[in-house]
Amino acid sequence: MGFLKQDNFKRDVFLGIVVWLFLLLFFFIVPSAGIHDIIQKVFILGLFAMSLNILIGYLGLIAFGHAAFFAAGAYTLGLFLQSNVVNILGSLSIPIAIISAIFVSTVLAAFIGAICIRLKDIYFSFLTLAFQMLIYSIILALVNITGGDQGLMGGFPKPPFLGIDLGKPFDFYAFTIFISIITIILLRQLIESPFGYGLRMIRDNPERPAALGFNNQRHKLIAFIIAGSIAGLAGSLQALLDVGAYPEWAFWAKSAEPLFMILLGGMHSFLGPIMGAFIFEMLNDFVTANTRYYGLVLGLVILSFVLGLRRGLLDWLLIKFYRK
Amino acid sequence: MLKIHGISKSFGGINATNNVSIELKPNSINALIGPNGAGKTTIFNLITGKISVDKGKIFIGENNITNLKETVITHMGIARAFQITNIFPTLSVKESIKMALLAKTHGLNNMWDRFASHSVNEEADNIAKLAGLKKVYNTISSELSHGDQKLLDIALALALKPQVLLLDEPTAGMGPEERWEMIKRIKELWQKTKMTVLFIEHDMDIVFDIAQTIFVLQQGAIIAKGSPKEIKQNQAVIKAYLGGGKK
Amino acid sequence: MEIFALFDCIISPACLISQTAGGLKIGMLLFLVASGLTLVFGVLGVINFAHGALYMLGAYFSWQVMAVTGHFGLAVICGAIGVGIFGLLFERLLINKVYNADLLVQILLCYSVILILDDLVMIIWGDEFLSGIGVPEVFQIPPLFIFDAIIPPFHIAIVVISMIVALLLWLIMTKTKFGKLVRATAVNPKMLEALGVNTNVIKAGVFMLGSFLAGLGGALAASLGSVVSGMGNSIIIESFIVTVIGGMGSIGGAFIASIIIGMARSFGAVAMPLFTDGIMFLIMVLVLIMKPEGLMGKKK
Ligand SMILES: Nc1ncnc2c1ncn2[C@@H]1O[C@H](COP(=O)(O)OP(=O)(O)OP(=O)(O)O)[C@@H](O)[C@H]1O
Ligand SMILES: [Mg+2]
Repeated sequence: MGFLKQDNFKRDVFLGIVVWLFLLLFFFIVPSAGIHDIIQKVFILGLFAMSLNILIGYLGLIAFGHAAFFAAGAYTLGLFLQSNVVNILGSLSIPIAIISAIFVSTVLAAFIGAICIRLKDIYFSFLTLAFQMLIYSIILALVNITGGDQGLMGGFPKPPFLGIDLGKPFDFYAFTIFISIITIILLRQLIESPFGYGLRMIRDNPERPAALGFNNQRHKLIAFIIAGSIAGLAGSLQALLDVGAYPEWAFWAKSAEPLFMILLGGMHSFLGPIMGAFIFEMLNDFVTANTRYYGLVLGLVILSFVLGLRRGLLDWLLIKFYRK
Repeated sequence: MLKIHGISKSFGGINATNNVSIELKPNSINALIGPNGAGKTTIFNLITGKISVDKGKIFIGENNITNLKETVITHMGIARAFQITNIFPTLSVKESIKMALLAKTHGLNNMWDRFASHSVNEEADNIAKLAGLKKVYNTISSELSHGDQKLLDIALALALKPQVLLLDEPTAGMGPEERWEMIKRIKELWQKTKMTVLFIEHDMDIVFDIAQTIFVLQQGAIIAKGSPKEIKQNQAVIKAYLGGGKK
Repeated sequence: MEIFALFDCIISPACLISQTAGGLKIGMLLFLVASGLTLVFGVLGVINFAHGALYMLGAYFSWQVMAVTGHFGLAVICGAIGVGIFGLLFERLLINKVYNADLLVQILLCYSVILILDDLVMIIWGDEFLSGIGVPEVFQIPPLFIFDAIIPPFHIAIVVISMIVALLLWLIMTKTKFGKLVRATAVNPKMLEALGVNTNVIKAGVFMLGSFLAGLGGALAASLGSVVSGMGNSIIIESFIVTVIGGMGSIGGAFIASIIIGMARSFGAVAMPLFTDGIMFLIMVLVLIMKPEGLMGKKK
């Protein structure tokens, strides 16, 4: 097992498969629908938060409109599966719907990103926020297509493909986690590649790279697009889970959620955001079971992280027990 | 190697650079001197395309590089180190140098290899040795001593294997001993790599010791150029610069 | 989209006047809140995301005073001053810890305060909508008719009050010693400290003033509509829009931008009833693309 010590793609694939198989086993060991639901959500929200952390943790850009891509993915998938195309595509529907969702959010991210990355600091944040709210307004306005403030109602079919029937809890659980783990492995590769180090370089000192012959803007745009496409994938999985899509997913408060997760888990560790998603979901589950005042508890937890720990949990653990 | 023809630059009416011409011979080592605010750094910024030239032309070899983008000019063989160290705080020395090496070859678009095991390791090793950074090779940049940070800044430039190397006050903020060590290192570098070097320096002893040609700048204009011997005897320089009491 | 409706409105004096008056009312109320936000940003460099929550507090405070005393003027003033004092505590206890922190930390700190306050008001005042404090008796008179446009006198009062506040704010910032110190703090706090001025006091004062303005806006809003937890969550975004369009830190810019947004909302409701918010965001996007520093902001 020596190769486990090496940080490379093969090891990540191996670990990914191990985790996936373990979680499949877990499904049967702990047959609680509630817990399975939490695990699925942790992965979906974890993807969302990890994609945002490409920009926040590695690139140092505080994007505040990331939910736009999440919603774009969700609505695309929902509208696709509600359309007549499903009758023609049959069992190919779900894979193609997911690909379409990623495609639409990628194109949207390319468009919004190309405009936003020209701005710096708070101006960048505000422009991403403005675009997101513009998309929110469009979703509300196009009542005939999106269902306006009611959201995409009426459900949609989930035709089985490759023997996977997403209508069945186990299939959905296994599928969602599988897709998430693949994405996380690819993301890990991206972050540890020369490209990924280019992001850290820009974060560390945006002035210097030009004098090394390096084009910041192009790099930033590519990262923005990748982040948007992964958020779109997360959105499409969420839509599959909820069999619908809701305008709140495009509202600015939805963009704050992955920020919380990044804060809770840690922005400087690769798996920090998904750990944050786990804390976020556990908190959600635990608190809503005991009190109506979820916001109060979440607010206090965030406050204590911001002022107390001053970093995410995983960052803190790694610094305490691993690095020096 | 580097030819500058009568470049000018003004910032809101102030002539920071005024009809400056400089020519550097291949494999030469040259100094650019002048009092604070004379416009030395501005000339570096103009050469490297960090700011645009108002008037005049700049050539490297046969190529006109006037007002090209900073990234493009860098790829044409000009590299610089900065007056205020300009490095990447969270990256280690090794990582920083590798980044510069990869930037040079557009290798940073690579998403399929692991940066850590990427093939430029050996080259990075050599650059670090050349710059004398081997002992702190795996240290995080922000934890380096000031002198090592300056060296790293230079090492980043070296990694680009430039034809022309511009060094903006490489000894700034150093004690006397450290200074001479740095200068020795620069001289060595220059001899080993056969680059054309232009450095900015306030310490006259250093300048006279290693520069072949010296350019004296005052209020944006070149008031003298020549060998150390010529500059030492130049009346204008003595009056304007050396005679002022301040080095 | 009903472009013709907009056209019809513009050529009809009644519609034109009532929409303009409506836009002015929305805009001036927005200015009260947004001016506090932009002031705080200009001087302290902090984006106070919790500014909308302070606005909400203003509404609750004034509702409470109204419930106890039944006096409208007292309710509004106590609401505003109460939030001012709350703001002072907020600044001393929390905000001043993140002056030099990352934008992300500031946002998260403020957002946690929003979450906490939204729930706290529910715990104290219940989670039902509270009917607002209503219009004071003097204004419970028949509306004005100008070219058949119906204009409630109280709306005029709100616009006048806001204009007076704008004027006072302008006088404070330009004519008083405090204003000079505030502007100097915004430009070069180190210098002031070297001169022996305690900039912490000035910062706290500015934050208090900004909170007061949010509270005043909230108290007046409580007279026009109902009071509910979370009511600050859309005004904060509108205040951001105003701040950005006007130029971050510019109170004059916020004044102009507030009127623009008020009009956009008012006439947008005629032309594109479903996309009224969208128009604001579209304006915000366009301003950020073409003139990121805003209409009256300083170019960096
Ligand atoms: N981007 C800029 N905008 C406006 N003025 C500038 C800019 N860059 C330089 N200047 C001005 O141009 C003049 C020359 O500055 P420069 O930095 O080139 O001087 P220098 O010779 O390098 O001085 P020092 O020895 O202190 O480094 C100064 O008056 C400086 O204020
Ligand atoms: Mg200089």
